[in-house]
Amino acid sequence: MVNELREAAGKLLDDGKVDLVIGWAKGSLPLASTPVFISSSDEADQLVFDSTCGNNLTVYFTKDNKKISRDRKKVGIFVKGCDSRSLVLNITEKQLKREDVTIIGVPCSGVIDTRKVRRKAEGREVLEYSQDGDTVTIKGKEFELSVPLEELLSNACLSCLRKDAEEYDLFIGEPRKFSGESDPYSDIEEYENLSADERWERMNEEYSKCIRCYACRNVCPSCYCNVCFVDQNDPQWIGKTPEITDTMIFHIIRNLHIAGRCVECGACERACPMDIRLLYLNRKVAKEVRERFGSDTGTDLDQKPAMADFREDENQDFIMG
Amino acid sequence: MIRIKKENISGFIEGLMSDYVLFAPVKDGETVSFRKIESADSIAEDYMNTDKSPKDIFFPPAEVLFSFDSGEITKNECSEKPFAVWGLRGCDVKSLTLLNMVFGTARQNPEDEMFQDPYWKEKYDNALIIQTACNDPRSTCFCNWFGGSPHDGEKADILVIYIGDAYLLDPKSDKGRKYLETVKNTEPAAKKDIKEAERLRAEADSSLSAVFELDGIVGRMSGLFNSGVWEEIGAKCVNCGACAFICPTCHCFDVQDEGKGKKGKRIRIWDTCMFPVFTAEASGHNPRELSKDRLRQRFMHKYSYFMENYGEHLCTGCGRCVVVCPVNLDIREVAKKVMSYQS
Ligand code: SF4
Ligand code: SF4
Ligand code: SF4
Repeated sequence: MVNELREAAGKLLDDGKVDLVIGWAKGSLPLASTPVFISSSDEADQLVFDSTCGNNLTVYFTKDNKKISRDRKKVGIFVKGCDSRSLVLNITEKQLKREDVTIIGVPCSGVIDTRKVRRKAEGREVLEYSQDGDTVTIKGKEFELSVPLEELLSNACLSCLRKDAEEYDLFIGEPRKFSGESDPYSDIEEYENLSADERWERMNEEYSKCIRCYACRNVCPSCYCNVCFVDQNDPQWIGKTPEITDTMIFHIIRNLHIAGRCVECGACERACPMDIRLLYLNRKVAKEVRERFGSDTGTDLDQKPAMADFREDENQDFIMG
Repeated sequence: MIRIKKENISGFIEGLMSDYVLFAPVKDGETVSFRKIESADSIAEDYMNTDKSPKDIFFPPAEVLFSFDSGEITKNECSEKPFAVWGLRGCDVKSLTLLNMVFGTARQNPEDEMFQDPYWKEKYDNALIIQTACNDPRSTCFCNWFGGSPHDGEKADILVIYIGDAYLLDPKSDKGRKYLETVKNTEPAAKKDIKEAERLRAEADSSLSAVFELDGIVGRMSGLFNSGVWEEIGAKCVNCGACAFICPTCHCFDVQDEGKGKKGKRIRIWDTCMFPVFTAEASGHNPRELSKDRLRQRFMHKYSYFMENYGEHLCTGCGRCVVVCPVNLDIREVAKKVMSYQS
């Protein structure tokens, strides 16, 4: 597959269809890939795709990073299913034009959460990572383990039903069609079944670890305000300390700002250096939106995000009581 | 050098806890960080390098400097007992000495208290710094680039070497020596223990990757200030603060007042050059407008400005940023790229 992907990128560049391709390259650590920007076909052999490619590259179309893609006219981008939904969302939100981007889908079998790998390795450093189908082999100084990929997958991928892009110009291999079944949200079931007090306690536990580094916000393609409310200082909306009250406000407001806009790719949770389960809240909010408004974020170029849309026939219980 | 049997080490830790406020690596989910501990068994064992750095202890993420109430100012008092820290790595101890150059020793005018930070000094000056030798460095460790090595404990008060059935405690300062003299249940280290420690040291040294020479990087970086190298390096950076906040040597801060009416407190809060608001001016202008401008600042502070000002690099090679960076922007590769860049 890697060869096909490199060829596809090289051809697009050679044919002048795009002048930049955003993809993933092998990283400097065994469990890491790294975003890469390719502007000529002889650099295309850097491209890879495997279960370490967790970054949602759509982020390079928004925020500060958009400079990279805006400087070029025609950009090609590799996308997993969730990444393609981010692109669609960003297009519906007029952050880029569909015709300016060449979307190249890659077949996704889910991406790993490095923390889960660390847990498997029981604190020992992982020095090699390889994957053969659904089995992953991790090696360190004095150990070697074979683990089913499933056990290492990012929480976001566990219940992902649309693993392949539905909006694309090119697909590497054969895209699997979405079966239409509904997401069981089994990963947050335990959390949802807690009482309100217990949920609050869980949130406190999670967010008290937060160091306010904003890696979660910055890797998220849906979080692209020119100046985020946490960075505004005239007036300043919230305190800047990592005390739980301030931190909680940051997270809750971020969650509300991405309600109906979160594609549940899990990039935020994987980016968090403090191992915070951000998806409890993200997925819970996404589930509510899906149930109340029947919208599947980022799956339709003609549909506005749920919170930016109004339809007379939609559920209005929350207003009328 | 003294020896404490493995099973007696908790006795030593408990002793520390009665004399000091003790900080040690504690596990929380999958992450390990330094915390104030109340019992010897809460100390994490299977960690290589803490996820958060020890700077939190002496330079907390949010530190109340003083509180005020209608013109009345009350300084925030430090704890009565001095601090001790157990489980620091060599790079961690080094980072504290670097931070001490900024907050503690007043390079500009060593005698003048005005340049010394009392909040840092009251914690750091009296602290007992206990380092654990690294028998099994990570692949991301590069302390050897900066003159460090896994068993080098010269900057600590006590160096602890774990040799399998016992801990060897090697006093490295007067403070450390005095403390060890008060400890009971110890025996002098035997010749074979010392030999084992030497073997472990050699093994750890040889497991590090080769040193990458940084000679001349200060000049190179200044020369490349306006070059395209920063755009190349920084294209993938998402400008979060993960690297700076887990870094043991990054030390920029913001000062904010929180309160209502005439009552409130002044707090010093970590900040980082990676955030746009760090240099945003009241006019709305931002001299470090783009992601690459901010990232250049961070790397130049590490490998250029600090060297010019203090004669050391502001990096200890702990590798924390290498591990946490969400886009795998590896500082070792940045240094290599800067050294080889042809503009
Ligand atoms: S959420 Fe789905 S599409 Fe995205 S990485 Fe996981 S499995 Fe792939
Ligand atoms: S990435 Fe993690 S630690 Fe950083 S701000 Fe987000 S939740 Fe907090
Ligand atoms: S810059 Fe990175 S490697 Fe250097 S001291 Fe900071 S966290 Fe450690």
